[in-house]
Amino acid sequence: MSRKFLSTPYLLWIACGTIVPLLVIAYYGLTDRSGAFTAANIKAIFSADHAQALGLSLLLAFISTVICFLLAYPLALILRNSKIGRNGFMVFIFILPMWMNFLLRTMAWQVILEKGGIINTMLTAMHLPPLEIINTPAAIVLGMVYDFLPFMVLPIFNTLMKIDDNIIEAAYDLGATKKNVLFDILLPLSIPGIASGVTMVFVPALTTFVISNMLGGGKILLIGNIIEQEFTTSSNWNLGSGLSLVMMIFIILSMAMLGKLDKDGEGSLI
Amino acid sequence: MKKFTKILYLVLIMLFLYLPIGTLMVLSFNESKAMSVWSGFSLKWYKEMFSNSMIMEAVWNTFTIALIAAAAATLIGTVACIGISVMKKNSQNTIMALTNIPMLNADIVTGISLMMTFLVFGISLSRGTVLLSHITFCLPYVILSVMPKFKQATRITYEAALDLGASPVYAFIKVVLPEIRPGIVSGFLLSFTMSVDDFVITHFTRGAGINTISTLIYSQVKVGIRPTLFALSTLIFVTVLVLLIASNLSSGESKSKGKKVVSVVTTSMVILLLGGVMFASGITTKSTGDEVHVYCFGDYIDPELIDEFEEETGVKVIMDTFDTNEEMYPVIKNESVNYDVICASDYMIEKLAGEGLLAELNRENIPNYSNLMEEYMAASESFDKGNKYAVPHTIGTLGIIYNTNTVKEGEITSWNDLWKKKYEQRIVMPDSVRDTFAIALKAKGYSLNTTDEAEVKEAADYLIQQKPLVYKYANDSARDLILGGSVDIAVVWSGEVLYTQEENPDLSFVLPQEGSEQFTDCWAVPASASNKKNGELWINFMLKKSSAEKNYEYLTYSIPNKAVYDYVSDDENAMNVLFPEASVLEKCEALKNLGSEADDMYSVQWKKFKS
Repeated sequence: MSRKFLSTPYLLWIACGTIVPLLVIAYYGLTDRSGAFTAANIKAIFSADHAQALGLSLLLAFISTVICFLLAYPLALILRNSKIGRNGFMVFIFILPMWMNFLLRTMAWQVILEKGGIINTMLTAMHLPPLEIINTPAAIVLGMVYDFLPFMVLPIFNTLMKIDDNIIEAAYDLGATKKNVLFDILLPLSIPGIASGVTMVFVPALTTFVISNMLGGGKILLIGNIIEQEFTTSSNWNLGSGLSLVMMIFIILSMAMLGKLDKDGEGSLI
Repeated sequence: MKKFTKILYLVLIMLFLYLPIGTLMVLSFNESKAMSVWSGFSLKWYKEMFSNSMIMEAVWNTFTIALIAAAAATLIGTVACIGISVMKKNSQNTIMALTNIPMLNADIVTGISLMMTFLVFGISLSRGTVLLSHITFCLPYVILSVMPKFKQATRITYEAALDLGASPVYAFIKVVLPEIRPGIVSGFLLSFTMSVDDFVITHFTRGAGINTISTLIYSQVKVGIRPTLFALSTLIFVTVLVLLIASNLSSGESKSKGKKVVSVVTTSMVILLLGGVMFASGITTKSTGDEVHVYCFGDYIDPELIDEFEEETGVKVIMDTFDTNEEMYPVIKNESVNYDVICASDYMIEKLAGEGLLAELNRENIPNYSNLMEEYMAASESFDKGNKYAVPHTIGTLGIIYNTNTVKEGEITSWNDLWKKKYEQRIVMPDSVRDTFAIALKAKGYSLNTTDEAEVKEAADYLIQQKPLVYKYANDSARDLILGGSVDIAVVWSGEVLYTQEENPDLSFVLPQEGSEQFTDCWAVPASASNKKNGELWINFMLKKSSAEKNYEYLTYSIPNKAVYDYVSDDENAMNVLFPEASVLEKCEALKNLGSEADDMYSVQWKKFKS
């Protein structure tokens, strides 16, 4: 009787809830409607519409991830160095918005950014030129940054909190400048958190269909939109599965690259 | 100075995070249904929310599913961590890699793969499948928060306890558990939050009629989101905020972070459970044993009518909803649930009746049949010969609404006017394959049910040509965009028009001369109904003059009932919008099912046009 067996229910759950579903998707992706083997659903990614959508998705996801990082890192630093950051209350401030349904939160940006929306009404009242980003890729990036920023802040904040204050003090004692401390100590030591933050922003940004639906004005088709459409309106499960498989390859690649930076799983969300 | 910059930065980020939330909160007190117009303070959406049983049920579903999923995931996950922690490093790494899959995989892939797995193994989608899926995606959060605590926990104290004669279970509870408790608590809390906030996975794995708050919001897209949902979200948000602040203030410095979290969670659980019990008891007390099972589009009747029906007949209403005809069809076909009365669109009625899935109506049980307008009954014969199976509920046509302050009255008469350069960036078009194509096809003079590839291609090219002129492709928000002044021309369903004109009388509606798309949504009784009489009782009640008027007031869609006709007959504009002349209607077509090959062709052309 070994304690190892306590993990059996979980392992069974992984098998049924993760591995089998992936096999099912692979099966559908590699067959056509009649059940015969085909690679057409995979090759479909090279058709102009699909390749363009995937390219745009990768680009927008990349931009959002960079912006999230640039916003989140200074924020995490400020929180680390201040009292409010240390008592855990701040963490809740970032989780709290999740209690407002995310479809509604994203939709709220529509109301804010619309041509006749809140921001533009204010700008016009002040005789400033209007902000015309709704229904463009810029609005989608904004939506992604908004929805996923907490997933970048929390892991970075957590790894920064784990850094021993003594190390930093020692660096200052040895004559390091603030710049040295940031680039030679804080940044390298927080790489696990950054890596995990980057994956947690990049992956959902790459695959979203809701944000592009709501803020793209139906003019911008991301790979997520195409897959969703194949399953709901066109009901071509085989093509949808094939495209999902291709998308997963991109996710696995980025995970593999980032996974090396966070070997011990230090940069967790929690 | 430096400090000031830091604080400014924090404030800006907070503003960014909370601006949308503040906007929604303000809108929940808006008198108007439109999101872009502020027409005074009102609490009516809060009132409506509590009396809407569908919303209350979605709330109940959301929180029970989240609670059970989070609890189950925490239990399975924590127990698994005990096992994993004693494994060899290699197996540990493999398991952790597998754990990361659902966490890092796209929601959409997780949702789709689970849905397909359920269906492949013959498990029909239900509340249970949603729950299983939620446990699946909550598990990694638990494992990832508990596992690090195990690594930190020193094994020596546990072994010391064993040496001192403690049983393994006792030692675990007394020594290990206190050390890993913060991990368990945050895993639970995170799972709960994720489950409540999830949309994508629920969207794909839910059964017919099972709504959570997220899917309810998404389903309201068909008729436009009502601010009741803003009210609901505001209420939930404020509750959580108050609990959080209260626990933060009361706990003071001495208590640990973990305890604070525990108290927040337990208080909120207690409140939710109490609310749930009150809600549940509210449902059951009304029951007299006699029931009618209704299956209908979401938010498609005035919820007050349900109470009225129950009071008048003593029959309890059990209402399930769906978003699309395609979602409803398999439920009726497979008889996975027995409904006594359903609502379906014209082409679906034809399909269901053709497959023998509908029961013929007994007119003797529906005396209010005489309230229906004869010309619409005649029109319904196109999909229901002899009016045997279906009774119209609502009708609508697709038309153009425009702002006469910026576009001259009468300047727009044809679909082709939407291709004029001078309206650049001032037009909203629908965003759904068949509706959008219907416009281009009609503009080109083709049938909107064409399966001729050349015609569909031509329509797609025509749409590509129009794309730079279009401000947005949208279904639900067209009304708000034109009211907010973001656009001047919008393609809308006739049911949206009167409401929109109430907010802005300078709007004009036209049914283009080439003809348009029209729909008739009908009530029908499935052949598998276990209580056909009650189904007919429901239809009869809906045909009652007062019910029809009430539904009209709620939906503002045209209802082919003499009472509604008389009600609006003095208003020339309303008559034009709701009951267009026969000569105009003749040119309109209802969508037909085209089969999967034609669907694929439309889909290919659609993607070409959209990308």
